[in-house]
Amino acid sequence: MTSNPTTPPRPGRRSFLIGAGSGAAVTALAATAANAAIHSSPSATPASATAPAVPFHGATQAGVYRPADQQRQACFASFRVLATTKAELKTLLQVLTAQGVKLSTGVRAADPVPAESLPAIAGGPPQNSGVLGEDVPPDSFTMTVGLAASVFDNPAFGLAGKKPKGLTEMTVFPNDTPDPAWTGGDLLLQLCADSTDMVHYALREITKATRGLLALSWKINGFHSAPRPAGTPRNLFGYKDGIANPAQDEQLVWITQGSGQPDWAVGGTFIVVRLIRMLVEFWDRVGLGEQDGMIGRHRVSGAPLGAVKETDVPDYANDPDGQNIPLDAHIRMANPRTKATDASRLLRRGYNYDLGVDLNGNMQAGLIFASFQRDIKAQFEATQLRLVNEPMTDYIEPFGGGYFIGLPGVTAANGFLGEGLFA
Amino acid sequence: MPDSLPAPAPTMDGVVAAYRNYVSGQLDTLTGQALSLKASIGNNSLEVARRQWLDAQMTWQRVGAAYGSFGDLGSAINGLPSGLPKGSADPGFTGLHRLEYGLFHGQGPAELAAVASKLYADVVELHGKLPTMELAGSDMPLRCHEILEDSLRDNLSGNNDQGSGMALALTSADLDGTRVVLALMRTLVDTLSPGYTAKVTATLDRLGNALARTQDQGTWPAWRTLPLAARQPVTGALGAALESLAYVPALFSTDD
Ligand code: HEM
Repeated sequence: MTSNPTTPPRPGRRSFLIGAGSGAAVTALAATAANAAIHSSPSATPASATAPAVPFHGATQAGVYRPADQQRQACFASFRVLATTKAELKTLLQVLTAQGVKLSTGVRAADPVPAESLPAIAGGPPQNSGVLGEDVPPDSFTMTVGLAASVFDNPAFGLAGKKPKGLTEMTVFPNDTPDPAWTGGDLLLQLCADSTDMVHYALREITKATRGLLALSWKINGFHSAPRPAGTPRNLFGYKDGIANPAQDEQLVWITQGSGQPDWAVGGTFIVVRLIRMLVEFWDRVGLGEQDGMIGRHRVSGAPLGAVKETDVPDYANDPDGQNIPLDAHIRMANPRTKATDASRLLRRGYNYDLGVDLNGNMQAGLIFASFQRDIKAQFEATQLRLVNEPMTDYIEPFGGGYFIGLPGVTAANGFLGEGLFA
Repeated sequence: MPDSLPAPAPTMDGVVAAYRNYVSGQLDTLTGQALSLKASIGNNSLEVARRQWLDAQMTWQRVGAAYGSFGDLGSAINGLPSGLPKGSADPGFTGLHRLEYGLFHGQGPAELAAVASKLYADVVELHGKLPTMELAGSDMPLRCHEILEDSLRDNLSGNNDQGSGMALALTSADLDGTRVVLALMRTLVDTLSPGYTAKVTATLDRLGNALARTQDQGTWPAWRTLPLAARQPVTGALGAALESLAYVPALFSTDD
């Protein structure tokens, strides 16, 4: 019944030596762990030469235009912020930054751990969950962080004066059936990588490091398919998706000095996430001609109807009555390609999702629609409103998502996401 | 909440002795509570019995009997229907949670009187055996974090709930038990890692505050009836506490 100081009394789950141990510095808590990890160096070499690392640092966040080819896997996770003071919010953003740097760079188990990131107490639970083995490859990992209007509206943070213009709760559009369990949240993480285990690992690391400061409210994993057989990958309706997207130099995505937004937001972007179920069984009972007409492209090639290659540009000017591409085709309503609608274009970077089964045995699958723009109303909402009564509406059910301000990027080695909020 | 926390013990032997003493006191209390509960059920005062069940269950939680420390008697007092062939109708399902099940599923003296009598007898028996029971010093650091791990795994998950919805009350009693074990080990912990109990205590305080804020004029709401936004401060604070408690066993470990 008693323990002896030299012989552990019982070789149970763990063995103990009462009175041993080092007087190691104590950090364990997110807030303290934070202080340790904020000093990570941006120029660390990637853990593996073969797996590409996407730079975390830059004037804008990764996961939008960087890397140029969207990664294969993603997790969209929405959190409640539990921080109760501005200082805690700052700590939270510092911890997230440190995690983003670490995960983007990768970790080699053999590399020396900087003293300040050593665990609280030697011999505690492993620092690495082991899901990726001992060496963590960068695996094209990107973390993109967004904040919802609720963070600016929370008096505890005193950020009302810094609230970006036009950042609201997600509008409920005519065909939406928002499910509170999948809608909103204070903070969005878009985690992307080329493998599912990396995405899982990253979320697990991040939630551990932010325990008590963030509470996971909903999350959905998505995949970006391989090209079949070539070109742009297909969505779950079988159509190539992501063909027409504005280039970075068209300046439709990043908030700039002239955008009329608070200075701190320059280099940021508005993120719209829409969780849209696709009734795939129903869709599969529709003829190909009707499907093509609803989208406005040929399923086989991805080319606009009447054209040959997916990169061919639809010519609506010479098809005013929709003989070729119906006037209510998705691509035509989404982007009529007129002078008046040109500025409403946006960057889409969605992922397919495949969850469980519904009440009636149908598959719960669809699209995690993610778009990036400098103005939600003028771009996303204008596009969405044009699409309200498109024929495809019958085959889809938007049920969740949210609006967020994607924070500007981090350039300084000791900088952190959202730093401008605290200036 | 125990009125005051016990004084720290200077050695692990001292911790075990003081913990045994503390458990004995809790079992004294539980003996009285089990007797009252038995009487109320016998007299068909079920409204009173439901309140008394909660008091008794909370006393048991405060003991901090994480992961089966009291063997078969522990299961008889605090067992669950899982794993029993007939589930909640199984005769092997006894003790506090069996009473909870009955009291919150319309049962009365006919079904519960015998269960209450057996509970009382089991508590008395455990109390009698306590002085000679094996309590290992090596369990104490583990207990420090396992009690609240059980809150998350068993109470707040709803797995333990037999109908009362009182996961918050049980978790607050688990927190009390954790504070007691930590207080007993304070000297040992702080010798190994100066200031660590203060760090852990700060997270426990935050959890205590989050729990208290869910109360409505001293009563606990049913856990499942709270919306996610009201549950998150509790589970968030609990998560943060668990991350810091996870390092307590490491202080005493020879592994690694
Ligand atoms: C489940 C729902 C949706 C499906 C299945 C879908 C499918 C497609 C497909 C197959 C294309 C053609 C290929 C391409 O250019 O990428 C396309 C284009 C497009 N979609 Fe969607 N889409 C959906 C929802 C949305 C939403 C919610 C919006 C915006 C509010 C949107 C905006 C656009 C835009 C702007 C284009 C490009 C049009 C162009 O510039 O030619 N889509 N979509």
